[in-house]
Amino acid sequence: MPDIKEVQTEFKPKILAFCCNWCAYAGADLAGVSRFQMPTNVRVIRVMCSGRVPPELVIRALANGLDGVMILGCHPGDCHYSEGNYLTRRRAHVLKRLLSYIGIEPERFQLRWVSAAEGAKFSAVVKEATDKITALGPNRWVDKK
Amino acid sequence: MKTSSKEVQDSVKKLFEDGRISHFIGYEAGSDSLRVTPCFLKSGQTVSRLVWNPLCANNLAKYLLDLRKVEGKVGILVKGCDSRSVVELLKENQIERDRVFIVGVPCSGIVDGEKLLAVLGISPGDVVAVEDGGDAFLVTTREGKRRVRKEQVLRGECLVCRYPTPVIYDVLLGEAIPSLPWVRDDYSLVRELEELSAEEKARYWNRELSQCIRCYACRNVCPVCNCPECIFDKKAPRWLSKANDISENLVYHLIRAFHVAGKCVDCGECERACPMGIPLRRLNKKVEKDLLELFGYTAGIDVEQQPPLTKYQVGDLDEFL
Repeated sequence: MPDIKEVQTEFKPKILAFCCNWCAYAGADLAGVSRFQMPTNVRVIRVMCSGRVPPELVIRALANGLDGVMILGCHPGDCHYSEGNYLTRRRAHVLKRLLSYIGIEPERFQLRWVSAAEGAKFSAVVKEATDKITALGPNRWVDKK
Repeated sequence: MKTSSKEVQDSVKKLFEDGRISHFIGYEAGSDSLRVTPCFLKSGQTVSRLVWNPLCANNLAKYLLDLRKVEGKVGILVKGCDSRSVVELLKENQIERDRVFIVGVPCSGIVDGEKLLAVLGISPGDVVAVEDGGDAFLVTTREGKRRVRKEQVLRGECLVCRYPTPVIYDVLLGEAIPSLPWVRDDYSLVRELEELSAEEKARYWNRELSQCIRCYACRNVCPVCNCPECIFDKKAPRWLSKANDISENLVYHLIRAFHVAGKCVDCGECERACPMGIPLRRLNKKVEKDLLELFGYTAGIDVEQQPPLTKYQVGDLDEFL
């Protein structure tokens, strides 16, 4: 039986990605069928709009120990519901600063625009996020006594 | 605090006599001489209970919500900060403007009882009365009168108060105070923390938030926390477990800070109500500062102004790309 400690030495972050049904989710699909290589650390949750993702979900995920949370939505101007991504963008600015203020590295929360045609961008975004969060290490806020 | 209790009593009495209000929310003497407590009047007979002094800390705006269904108009005594809460309630259509009668009093600072006792080195029973004396408070103790410089004993929010005079009122008692001489840097508390490293910030907040017993006093006392069903009380989906756990405390305080974003007027009630002394204003102030810097928004000034997170501009900052 392998030593448990030894198995855990390599840090593989768990990252959550909320993907908009109309763009980033299709972008992820395109990345898949185009066979772009990317890390497997990202877990995708499909939402109908990036505007569907309230800060509560991001906070809950980070407090539960996820190492990173991404919201992937349509480019500004392209929202299927006209304005969902604009509202998310405003909230994200405030949330990012609040997280940083409380001691959670701002890189752990990312908002990115990925259209349905941008399979390559999806894989690049995932790779970049994984690299950044791997460099940060595990999300250990709750243990910082 | 040039306005006296007598002036408040007289004007409220007149309002009742003229039939302009059916209820009045003000302050009356509390359980000890360092405390005042909210006072609810239904007639002009009992106006002698009302007081107005530098101990009137409570934000009475919250009680307007409890009196939404009563017959007639509800009168309320507001300081600068309370009036901004009233503006926020009006903005959200929680109350109707023509059903409240706002009696404004310019406020030149409220005493923090604990600071006062520490500065004077006395116990609560020794204080007889606290009066406003310009740049100092005149404290009558059992041993005699003493002067205490305001900066030493003011409540935290009063030290950075930009709105000593109510922004909305039907009648203003006393002369408007344009600004308070001691107010300089509004966000020094926030900046101090912002300069720390992520590790230090995490340690600081972990230590502070781990004290939280989740009594929800900060939520219950907050005038803008008025959802019929609070997200933290919901059973399905359950956002917050009942477990005594630092991650739950983190979720609670972050979500709360976010939910009052754009509505918090820094009246300081959450921090005053907190039995564990958690610096909640430091959290809310940060959101306030960001909203000001990002969107140029200050809460509680203008009823017509739309909250910043419910609108957008195409050209908003897009720093994520």
